[in-house]
Amino acid sequence: MPRVARLHAILWGVFSMGGFIAAFLLPVLIYLVGIAYPLGLWPLAGGDPTSAILNHHHIGTLFLFVTVAGSLYHGIFRFQSTLTELGLAPAKRALEAIGYLITIVGILVVAYYLLLLNPGVLSLP
Amino acid sequence: MIREWTSFFVAVFSLIYIYELSLFASGAKDSALALMRNPGIIAFNVLALLFTLYHAFTWFYLIGKVQPIKMGKTTSKPWQALLVNIVLLLIISYAVIQILVLR
Repeated sequence: MPRVARLHAILWGVFSMGGFIAAFLLPVLIYLVGIAYPLGLWPLAGGDPTSAILNHHHIGTLFLFVTVAGSLYHGIFRFQSTLTELGLAPAKRALEAIGYLITIVGILVVAYYLLLLNPGVLSLP
Repeated sequence: MIREWTSFFVAVFSLIYIYELSLFASGAKDSALALMRNPGIIAFNVLALLFTLYHAFTWFYLIGKVQPIKMGKTTSKPWQALLVNIVLLLIISYAVIQILVLR
């Protein structure tokens, strides 16, 4: 398989994995952080969910990283291909470049902040 | 086309949450919590949850369509994959809440 085709297959594979992550893990994160906490709904009574999740050092940090990074990759990848279908096909290369830039920077940034919040996460549990 | 637009909400929610994590990490926890309580952000999050669930359900249906499972003489239908995966989504969501929030 040519190198470009192999890279393309890998990128689509990661996109598909991001689709699974966004389908199975993102709804509960949106509910906890974006709806249950500000509206005081079950299961949160006062405490903020991000601190609660990060209190479970390894698994909580891993959950946040996988969910946010996977969803970001899937969302950006699909949104830029949607824009090309909506008539922005001439700018496909530029959209892809911007999309990958946002994704790579986003993933590195989320990893950095999670490491800052949980410096011991790289040590064995 | 609605299916494609779910990606916008998935991506924007992820970016907003990364910004909230940056506020947490820089010690501005109160600002992060105030941002979460912003009515505009709450309204966006409700929409994001609806669109993400729409993404999930259509994704599950697609799995059943693309990869049907053969059991003897019968082959699984897409709606069966949808049902099984919705149950799985509920179990995973409850497990996340139980392990990471309630424990």
